[in-house]
Amino acid sequence: MSNEEAIIQRLVEKFDILKDRLHFQRSKRIFSDFLTREEFETVLPYVRDEMGFNRASHVVGTDEGEDLGFIYLLTNDDGVILALKEKAPKSNPKIKALTGDYPSLEFHERELVGLFGAEVEGLPAGPPYPLPDGWPEGNYPLRKEWNPEYFDNRTMSYNPPVEAEEKEAEQSE
Amino acid sequence: MSELNRVVIPIGPQHPSLKEPGCFTVTLEGEKIVDAVVGIGYNHRGIEKACESRNYTQVVYLLERICGICSHTHTTAFCQGVEELAGVEIPKRAAYIRVLVAEIERLHSHLLWLGVAAHEIGFDTMFMYTWRDREAVLDILAEIGGNRVNYAINTIGGVRRDIDDSLKQDILKMTDALEEQVKYYRELALTETTLAARLAGIGKLSREDALKYGAVGPVIRASGVDFDIRTVDPYAVYGEIPFKVITDTHADIFGRTVVRVLELLESIEIVRFCIKNMPDGDIVAKVPRRIPAGEVISRTEAPRGEDIHYIRSNGTEIPDRVRVRAPSEANWHAMRHMLLGQYLADVPITIAAIDPCFSCTDRAVVVKSGRETEFMDWAQLRQYSIEWYKKKGIDVTSIKMPERRRYF
Repeated sequence: MSNEEAIIQRLVEKFDILKDRLHFQRSKRIFSDFLTREEFETVLPYVRDEMGFNRASHVVGTDEGEDLGFIYLLTNDDGVILALKEKAPKSNPKIKALTGDYPSLEFHERELVGLFGAEVEGLPAGPPYPLPDGWPEGNYPLRKEWNPEYFDNRTMSYNPPVEAEEKEAEQSE
Repeated sequence: MSELNRVVIPIGPQHPSLKEPGCFTVTLEGEKIVDAVVGIGYNHRGIEKACESRNYTQVVYLLERICGICSHTHTTAFCQGVEELAGVEIPKRAAYIRVLVAEIERLHSHLLWLGVAAHEIGFDTMFMYTWRDREAVLDILAEIGGNRVNYAINTIGGVRRDIDDSLKQDILKMTDALEEQVKYYRELALTETTLAARLAGIGKLSREDALKYGAVGPVIRASGVDFDIRTVDPYAVYGEIPFKVITDTHADIFGRTVVRVLELLESIEIVRFCIKNMPDGDIVAKVPRRIPAGEVISRTEAPRGEDIHYIRSNGTEIPDRVRVRAPSEANWHAMRHMLLGQYLADVPITIAAIDPCFSCTDRAVVVKSGRETEFMDWAQLRQYSIEWYKKKGIDVTSIKMPERRRYF
């Protein structure tokens, strides 16, 4: 059994919720399916403290349609990457900040706030990153529905075309 | 000293030690730094969003322009990720050429850093020596790819240009001349007392802190951790190339200097190994335009450390998500920690010691008004600058320059 398969077996034995949800993609790569916030927070302390995944290289934000995805790239001393995924609905995109346990995630978590509109609870105060000062609120450029063609960088405003129905409604008013 | 005596100084975004924008707000008690806030993001260009509206081949060219210093490492990470998704194995000769260019790139990047670091501590003789030697490396890169930076060697499925025998000879001549110089720098780094006195004990980062803050590359290796993607997770043909991962236990800027100088010698050996053992054959394999759905994490060891690309395909010609975690992005987290307790005068070299790279090379495009864009080639750009100086009353064409010497 490879090192990666042993990691998966140990995690599945410990947590029933991970059964069939961890995938050995290739040497040094383990991917999980998307977990809910509750599931993610149950698994994470064990992965960090007991399994030796004590370094976090990154957290990748993704747009999953109705949800936002957060893929945490955790690394152990052998260089194995465990991509542990968490999901939160766009209507309530709250996740817990991991900056306290993994200080290497600070800028990346700020990025989730700026580019995806995630609410990262517990993230220490600091300058926004990476969007410029004066960036209009409610504009999250890495969400799929945000179209750069509608953004005017001189006035820093986002002006999507008004839908025909909305136009009619405005006119009738 | 009471808190009333504290002074807050914003250094940047126009920065004294770097030609790129970053804001470091330091709180001082006298000359000592008691707090520091790192503000970056001034160079955010929305490259990841742009990737989501271009096909895979176009994305290669876009990612090449993330960084002008280590452009090859980004395209290597991206191309090998896409190749993994497509299930394509690239020809061995192409893998050798990728490694060869990557190591020549490391030579030019480390020499650049050595010059910048020397300049920051007022050792301008060494700055000029290293940058003179770097010219020879850039000449070789220009010969390989046609450009000093952004050599565009990688393509999905292999490499775009082959290396013939005469070019091999030029590369070997360059490495011979450079090796002699680097050995001199090694002696300088290890024995020159002023260098040691200026750099030792500055920008301390213990092994534990380096791991905690996720430092990568020469920064973490100078803190005694032998973390190098070329051996931890070998890619291309690094698995069959013998080389030593350089580490040091000084855990300060002196250590980072030693690591980079010794890595230069290792890179020279890797270049020689590649030239000697490069097999014959094709340089590119066929890859379908539509990449099968899936996700991949690709890693390379850039000159500044681990470069991670996350790529997700939805089965079309256009990637669904591309995320690049460049090495400098990882090293910023340790910066605040390294600055605390330092003297103000040590700020420039401490920042420069992680070899930060914000991004660069946006110089060949001139945006006129509104949405109209005009492109300039090198000759036009040169002419434009000559005219610009003439308007200021300086005629640079009247200055007689000696013919440039080639060092190989």
